[in-house]
Amino acid sequence: MIEEALSHLVKGIVDNPDDVTVTDRNGRRGRTLEVRVHPEDLGRVIGRNGRTAKALRTVIVALGGESVRVDLVDVDGGKSRPE
Amino acid sequence: MSETTKETVIEQAEEKKPLLTRLEEEGEIAADYLEALLDIADLDGDIDMDVENGRAAVAIAGGNLSTLVGRNGEVLDALQELTRLAVQTVTDERSRLMLDIEGYRVQRREEIAEAALRAIEEVKSTGTAVRMASMNPFERKIVHDTVAESDLTSESEGEEPNRRVVILPA
Repeated sequence: MIEEALSHLVKGIVDNPDDVTVTDRNGRRGRTLEVRVHPEDLGRVIGRNGRTAKALRTVIVALGGESVRVDLVDVDGGKSRPE
Repeated sequence: MSETTKETVIEQAEEKKPLLTRLEEEGEIAADYLEALLDIADLDGDIDMDVENGRAAVAIAGGNLSTLVGRNGEVLDALQELTRLAVQTVTDERSRLMLDIEGYRVQRREEIAEAALRAIEEVKSTGTAVRMASMNPFERKIVHDTVAESDLTSESEGEEPNRRVVILPA
């Protein structure tokens, strides 16, 4: 349910919804939902000062529990975190 | 009115949609986005759309949606942010849509207006300024609006998220 919810939330706010994929990874450090978007849409899902990424995390944690992490990745594999 | 004239009128209306139509469309886009989320999360909620004070307003009531409100409404604010973006993605225009869930904002508005009225009385009786608790822009506006109805004035001070309203003596 939670990856489907995240996928829906992201698809609704990008120009290339068909390029959105969410991968559910269960690792040693807990559950991570990896969101891949079209490179043109990465700025949009991050938002000004990371505002949109934070909003996505807030909603997903509310639905899925504190242990869920959300990672934003563009289709080239670059991480969204500041370098 | 002849057929041709009617058609011309409709075409013009489509070209430049009135504000009310645009806001109603915003509400519909928002409702679709939120309804699909409720379905996925298996949550029950009735979605109500309206236009208030020149903004689209969407309210969800279900009785069991407190997870979507969150502590201090933080999940609600996040959902509102995402919903505005979803609307913008379709319309290409900035949205100032207001989202409410389980009447959280309505209740909050009442609480803040009451607190502002108490502070106004305090300023009047003591003659000294009163600093309100830190609030978000939506909440500060409620205080400013309440003060504007009295014969006092107010201003904001500090930086987000600690920005607060100060009510000044006359």
